[in-house]
Amino acid sequence: MAAVLGVSGTYHDAAAALVIDGRVVVAIQEERLSRVKNDPSLPQQAIAACLDVAGLDGAALDRVVFYEDPYAKLERVLASTLGTFPRAWRQFPRAMAAQLGGKVWVLDQLAELVGVARARVTHVTHHQAHAASAFLSSGYPDAAVLTVDGVGESVSTALWRGSGDALTGLGELHYPHSLGLLYAALTAYLGFEVNDGEYKVMGLAGFGQPRFVDEFAKIIRRDDDGGFELELAYFGHHADPELGFGPALERLLGPRRPPYAPWDLAGSAADRRYADIAATLQRVTEDVLLGLARAARARTGSDALCLAGGVALNAVANARLAREAGFARVFVQPAAGDAGGALGAALLGAIELGDGRPPPMTNAALGLAIDAGGAADLARQLGLTVTPLADPAAEIARRLDDGDLLGVCHGRFEWGPRALGFRSLLASPRDPEVRDKLNRAVKRREPFRPFAPAVLADQVGTYFDGDADDLTPFMTTVRAVRADGLGAVTHVDGTARVQSVTAASSPLLHGVLTALAAAGRPPIVLNTSLNGNGEPIVARAADALGFLLAHPIDGLIVDDVLVTKGAA
Amino acid sequence: MIDRARAALVRVTSPLVWRLPGHAARKLESFARAEEGSRIDLLAAAHATPALARRAAYLRHALDETRHAQMFARRAGELRRARGQVASGPPRADTEALFATLGEVRFLAFVHRGEQRGRRQFEIYARHFARRGDERTAALFAGILADERQHEAYTRALLDELCGDPAAARRALRRVGWWQAWRTWRRAGRALAHAIYATLMTALYLIAAPLAWLPLRRRARLARARWRSLDGATDRAGR
Repeated sequence: MAAVLGVSGTYHDAAAALVIDGRVVVAIQEERLSRVKNDPSLPQQAIAACLDVAGLDGAALDRVVFYEDPYAKLERVLASTLGTFPRAWRQFPRAMAAQLGGKVWVLDQLAELVGVARARVTHVTHHQAHAASAFLSSGYPDAAVLTVDGVGESVSTALWRGSGDALTGLGELHYPHSLGLLYAALTAYLGFEVNDGEYKVMGLAGFGQPRFVDEFAKIIRRDDDGGFELELAYFGHHADPELGFGPALERLLGPRRPPYAPWDLAGSAADRRYADIAATLQRVTEDVLLGLARAARARTGSDALCLAGGVALNAVANARLAREAGFARVFVQPAAGDAGGALGAALLGAIELGDGRPPPMTNAALGLAIDAGGAADLARQLGLTVTPLADPAAEIARRLDDGDLLGVCHGRFEWGPRALGFRSLLASPRDPEVRDKLNRAVKRREPFRPFAPAVLADQVGTYFDGDADDLTPFMTTVRAVRADGLGAVTHVDGTARVQSVTAASSPLLHGVLTALAAAGRPPIVLNTSLNGNGEPIVARAADALGFLLAHPIDGLIVDDVLVTKGAA
Repeated sequence: MIDRARAALVRVTSPLVWRLPGHAARKLESFARAEEGSRIDLLAAAHATPALARRAAYLRHALDETRHAQMFARRAGELRRARGQVASGPPRADTEALFATLGEVRFLAFVHRGEQRGRRQFEIYARHFARRGDERTAALFAGILADERQHEAYTRALLDELCGDPAAARRALRRVGWWQAWRTWRRAGRALAHAIYATLMTALYLIAAPLAWLPLRRRARLARARWRSLDGATDRAGR
């Protein structure tokens, strides 16, 4: 019976998660509260919010667990910068300033920040935290666990066996050979921001053909046992993390794409070429992951697979693993990236203190609840119109069917980078023009970015290939679209990142879809995150009303009130 | 006094500094970052203030700052592209948690001083670009100036209201002025310390690297060993 706070931070995607008596009580990514995208700081606000939700004082915590070994990380940074002498001469002072100026003291800082005795602050390793976040939340009694990301301490990829409440390390691949850093380097090459633009590369890949496989064979070599090795001459991350790729990559693939230049996939041969490179990267990433997953299946004999790490957010690759790797079940925890390390760290701490595994994660609403009354008061103060709703789900369904774009804030916000019906922007899934309008006028982002459908769980197979499974509740997979008339949510490659919805996973969204079905419509809506371009997803009432004021949407539902821009 | 002297300096120097190659884009990007940082601080204030009217005011102000940051970044991108350079993308800024650090009265005083300084600067820049015939950049500053004047006025009105009387508000403005001067001094110290530290660390790198060569070659060979098998030692929770 313990209260354990897990913390990730000091790199990117800082977060805090609180586990009490073996149950996940609250989990929050710092960016939601600080409003700084991918906030890398120690998650001061998230920690305070977690303690507030539980009504706990920091001193009452039995354990605070950091998601990474700060001393091992310092060793890796030292070894890496010295080992690449003299190329890292500019990186060395910066890296040492970051490490010695803060990161290596993170456990002491946490003790002071939380107000807990230093002896109660511990750490796990990065990939251990990732593995625990996936396996311990999955509900699987036994599973192969793969953790794949850029780098944590010195490990980039790790294979585990999960059984009961234990994780056994079976093998690992070490930095600088990293699938996550391969994806990051190509993300930068294609003109997107690293740690933010990887989704864009995945969307872009759908527009291309994987015709650079021979070139990529020079960049990454695969082994029969699932391992892989990067040809470091093409990369820069081991000498300077800000560089990502080296001149050799441009000699191999052509000049990099200028960042932030507008895309023209219809008219520009160069842009179509970049799409082909993205498609090849996606294919190669999938092939490597498939090799790793097959090795995991062979090593463990398990018929279930848990995935974590930033690479596990690649929904297209996850779909292929689910189809081809030979596992009966696959699970990806919704915050599979570094934020999820906070959850894994907390769960590991709880188990060490004698608590059991938490119940399987079926609902990602682990954040702060929206204050509907406060939102209504603030909306009136801002001169907006506030209308109480007797049946919010029916009203949303009716308005979506009429073609409205609606923001929805309901209950506690989501854990992870996906909006799952708690801080969502909803629209009709039918008309492709809705997608174009959303990309152009609301999200103000690249025209090739797709939107996801949310569908009643028991109707998934009617509209998409296959039924709902362990991946679909959290939008961590894609499915081929089977039905016509879903132009706004069908990507150019004929797939969609499906969210299956039950009353337990997302109550309001379930109500909306049920109301649509009752009206004779397909129980599907377009569901995208409620955030402006470059901003974190909305968390609280002021964020949501700010979004309404700044964007051309038709209204905002906050629990059971409708807020619109027209005067009362 | 200091702010007026700064405005005079800006007036004298701007004909020269805006003509430096690439400076205009860099300067506009720095404005975009400042507006973005201000957005974050104002949103934090909107969440933290206990008064509904001030929450609404801070939220509207934050939305203006978002718009300004986008306008500055867009124009900076245009200027960069006109010089054949790569645009630097959306502005990114950190927050100093000013509301939590200063409290609401001094936060308001800080914002008011910033808006006043910005208004004075932008008036000079708008005239400068109009004289140069750069209507687009002049219009950018002129458009933002209208918001800056409104921000300057409302923050002063709120400050007077919170302080209870104008004399107390003036005292708060003076105190925050001293705090800003102290902050500038500390920042200068940090920058100097950073430069010294970087020099020393570069020297250390040169000294230490040859000594580390042998063991690190061994590490590098290990890193190429692909799957490194673990002993499989199991304990609860993998430790």
